[in-house]
Amino acid sequence: MQTSDDSGLNALVSRRSILRAALLTGSFVAVPGFLSACAPPTNNVVATKSIKVGWKSDIDTFNPLTTTTTEAIEVQSLIYDTLSAYGLDLKPEPSLATSTTQDGATITYTLRDGVTWHDGKPFTADDVVYTFELIGKNQLGINSQYFTEFVSVTAPDAKTVVATFKSPQAFDPGLVVPILPKHIWSAMTVDQIQKATNDKPVGTGPFTFKARTQGQTVSVARNESWWGEKPSTTGASWTVYTNDDLMAQALKNGEIDIIPQVPPTVFKGLEGNKDLTSATLDSFSFHHIGFNLCDKPASKGNPLLLDKNVRQALGYALDRNQIAQIAYAGYAAPGGSILMPSFGDFYWEPSADELIDNNPDKGNALLDAAGYTAKDGNGIRQTKDGKPLEFRIIAIATTSVDVRTAQLFQSSAQKVGIKLTFSTVDSDTMGSTVYNIDAPDWDIFVWGWDSGVNDPSYMLGVPLTSQIGGNNDVFYSNPAYDALYTQQASELDQTKRIALVQEMQKIFYEDTAYLVAVYQKKLQAYANSGFTGWTQVPGGMIFNFTRDNYLKVKPAGS
Amino acid sequence: MPPLLRRFLVLCASIFAILTFNFFLFHIIPGDPIRLIARSQRLSPEQVAKLREAYGLDGSIFTQYWTYLKNLAHGDLGYSFALHENVADVVGRALLNTLILLTVSTTVVVLLGIVIGVFAGSRHGSKSDSATVVTSLVFWSLPTFWVGMLLVFIFGVWFGGLPISGITTPNAEYQNYFQYIADIARHLILPTLTLALVDIAFFVIITRTSLIEVMSEDYMLTARGKGLSRRTMVWKHATRNALLPVVTASVLYISALVAGAIQVEVVFSWPGMGLLTYNSVLARDYPTLEACFLIISVAVLVANFVADLVYRRLDPRVAVA
Amino acid sequence: MTFELSANEEATAVPASGFLAMLRSIWADRLGRIGFILLLLTAVVALLGPLVFPFNPADVGVDSSTILQPPSSAHWLGTDELGRDVFREFLAGARISLFVGIMATLISTIIGAGIGIAAGYFMGPLDTALMSATDFFLVIPALPLMIAMGAIFGQNLLIIILVIGLLSWPRTARIIRSQTLSLRQRQYVSRAKSLGASDARIIRRNVAPHVMQLIVANTILVVAGCILAEATLSFIGLGDPDRISWGSMLHFAFVSGAVGLGAWWYFLPPGLGILVVVLGFTLVGHSFERIANPRLKGH
Repeated sequence: MQTSDDSGLNALVSRRSILRAALLTGSFVAVPGFLSACAPPTNNVVATKSIKVGWKSDIDTFNPLTTTTTEAIEVQSLIYDTLSAYGLDLKPEPSLATSTTQDGATITYTLRDGVTWHDGKPFTADDVVYTFELIGKNQLGINSQYFTEFVSVTAPDAKTVVATFKSPQAFDPGLVVPILPKHIWSAMTVDQIQKATNDKPVGTGPFTFKARTQGQTVSVARNESWWGEKPSTTGASWTVYTNDDLMAQALKNGEIDIIPQVPPTVFKGLEGNKDLTSATLDSFSFHHIGFNLCDKPASKGNPLLLDKNVRQALGYALDRNQIAQIAYAGYAAPGGSILMPSFGDFYWEPSADELIDNNPDKGNALLDAAGYTAKDGNGIRQTKDGKPLEFRIIAIATTSVDVRTAQLFQSSAQKVGIKLTFSTVDSDTMGSTVYNIDAPDWDIFVWGWDSGVNDPSYMLGVPLTSQIGGNNDVFYSNPAYDALYTQQASELDQTKRIALVQEMQKIFYEDTAYLVAVYQKKLQAYANSGFTGWTQVPGGMIFNFTRDNYLKVKPAGS
Repeated sequence: MPPLLRRFLVLCASIFAILTFNFFLFHIIPGDPIRLIARSQRLSPEQVAKLREAYGLDGSIFTQYWTYLKNLAHGDLGYSFALHENVADVVGRALLNTLILLTVSTTVVVLLGIVIGVFAGSRHGSKSDSATVVTSLVFWSLPTFWVGMLLVFIFGVWFGGLPISGITTPNAEYQNYFQYIADIARHLILPTLTLALVDIAFFVIITRTSLIEVMSEDYMLTARGKGLSRRTMVWKHATRNALLPVVTASVLYISALVAGAIQVEVVFSWPGMGLLTYNSVLARDYPTLEACFLIISVAVLVANFVADLVYRRLDPRVAVA
Repeated sequence: MTFELSANEEATAVPASGFLAMLRSIWADRLGRIGFILLLLTAVVALLGPLVFPFNPADVGVDSSTILQPPSSAHWLGTDELGRDVFREFLAGARISLFVGIMATLISTIIGAGIGIAAGYFMGPLDTALMSATDFFLVIPALPLMIAMGAIFGQNLLIIILVIGLLSWPRTARIIRSQTLSLRQRQYVSRAKSLGASDARIIRRNVAPHVMQLIVANTILVVAGCILAEATLSFIGLGDPDRISWGSMLHFAFVSGAVGLGAWWYFLPPGLGILVVVLGFTLVGHSFERIANPRLKGH
């Protein structure tokens, strides 16, 4: 007979219970399936259409004075206005200032009427004065590099602001400095400002802050009382994706509208897709190989790199075309000068004799003449005292193009008898290792630069002696170069300036502190069913100097 | 001492051991501790001093350990300079998402696994039994992350139609709570399917083996002798006893479950503890990584404790001691 | 991660004689035979493959049109994201995957055996202490710990082998301990003692062969687990960047967009390779277990 033991387990495992369990499990699968079929979330209604961007990392903060990520700058550029802004042709246009005039070392801004802050308070000249003084006097944030010669700023009347510098400024900081509301920021001390997260940013810009889920999304909504032409889009949002491939899938199925940075191999898969438009744009960026030129005794870099012959030999070993083809899947041009070709007339290109690229014979000849003739069993050269020409090379693990570049460079270096040992680091370790000014413990890196502004001063300003401890990532120091920089920074005559800039590039190229490997293309893609009217701009439709695409695109089908 | 209390104390001791192990593991990392915490930020001397104080870096390793324990008691898991957030906040969100995934997939895996296992075991020696065993062994040998990649390819790239990343559709606007749940459910389908394909095999094999053992025991011969139908024998008598070893074996499963969940979260970008661990490894975000490891280990210890309780409650034969 | 196919750990089998007899029994068992063939296949591929089709990591494509190309007569399994031949890469990867799996198992077996024998032989407080530690490590989830240690100690092959080996010994330790314990109480040991045989002789003739069989069965299953562990760690990105393994191939396939591109030739073969190897070891180990414990039902 069956026992009448009614322990829980007995009841559980009767046949009927097993069937019940099966039904339960079945419903676990069926119910979600049914639910998902009946009511997909509504995110494509034209009436409330906002631009959905997909990217790889989250913003760090809404505080323009402490931010260091390009993602944050992108979002801030929509919440805040600058005095003048880049248009779709990358030329300055009036923004908060209806006109800007330069007279020697003074810049005069005539301000716009009828501008209000997102919290309703009126925008005044005091806000501009406050912002300029805050940055100029305290050297706060990444824009402080344009205020190194700042003297003073005044507002002679309610519509005018006059900024005075020590010498004429070839680059107008009004193009990049976000104007902050004095009535909010002046309540904080400088110390507090440096810690402030500015979670609910208030600006004058075309979009207001809407929401943020840390690590996942940021969103902004259209500012209905903006002074400019109202954008068609009702807002914008940015979502973090961990994997490029999954992000590309999200673009294909309409989850996002545009990806501002697509890696080369993933991009290959998007080209030819009828529902997407993929854009291969010229960029204001390069990826480079840098040498540790710190000559302090405490430096842990290999001193052999201080010998220009060694660096140039490595330059001759490097095959930039191979890097462009293989590491960048063809979406790059071989590099050279520290300025990118996108800078037009300013750009300098080495002649055939000056070219230091893909010529292992010349590299070998150079090293032979320099006395590194001894070789070990593996063909690696040695100094006269038997030290091998062996260097460490590092790259950021998650930047696959750099990893591939380093691997290709390793094989190339073998051709001139130099051994490179490769290891990867995370991006923050890269920063703290390379920029360790006391005792930098690295030999060679693979990294990259994006020009912060549409002006040669930014990139040319990187390897200045004064930037050691700042942007100078290779401890390069050349007084002649420094002198030329100061000259061109205050040269308002375009032709004269071009000549100075060209000479600077030539000196820097020959000194071989960098091996600029490639000028990579900016690869972006957008969904045709999302928005239309995207203007393809060198440097990117978004994630560029200009924010105008956000303002000008219209929802598809509207 | 009552046995329950004793086992509870063992749990506490184990948790304490994990805390200590975790601390020492993450404090032998080579490099300047300030640099490791603050990463590439250039700190002023005052900020450095504040950090040293907050983490007790001035004292000996034991002072730091004490500071660590004190902070934990307050629920302070440190601050992540990589994520610009308190680690506790980040982990809290991630943990919730992982629990959602694990609850659904474990239910599916355990129930289906047991059902199939009983099915196979009760037909011991038949073709369907061997087929089930072989299929299970094959699926158990699959790397979970690879199965995930294949499903992404099939349902994301080839056929499309099922969400292949995240927990919800980004920027979705829901008209009601129902839609929100439905959206999560849709995103659960592929990750659960991945875990199920690999992990069901575990329960199938264990249940089947256990059932066969039980069915050949002497008391089963008695039941047969009594003239009970085969079905009654299998479901009512055999299964009850067969399930006990399954519960014991589940303890081993928890480790595999965690490994599988991590892989699934990475492949499908499910924003849970697994993806958080993965991202903090990529960024060498040690404070977050340390917290992830700690939370996962403690959760497993607690789960084992609970499983042990369930086992002892169910098995009337286990002596009380 | 392996699991017990048999429900009990103790057994009282008569030790079979000789290694060849073992092999013959495995061959006789159908599942064991399949597993053995799979392993043989893997051995051939891993040992001979790279000799006949060597892989040179520097052998990248000529230009961008060679990247992620489908199989052709020139490249039987197409090319990867650097334009390199996937077929040769696959063969090279077999070696590393197997090497790490086997070496890690060796370490874990040595540690596990040491601890298990010590605990089982000396019993008492040493046993309790060692078993507490073993249970502790048994319960700690292995993968997160491996990930943490990989992140902290770096990514070279030796460290990965050590990390995997150090987290796989608990099961071995428990099994060996229980065997050692039961052997101490073995009837024929005490009988032999009463007949005057020396301890060493007893251990060698009666004890060791039986213990060895169970150790071997367990070891084979541990290899399967270690190979999966290496594949998972490499997939996550903690593999040795200078070596190609099947796991790292899948890692690069995943991050370079091979899945989105539909480059099945890049992400199918390494996964199938792992499946075949792990399945092979699992089937053989399972078979071994049965032979070592013929009284166990349910097989």
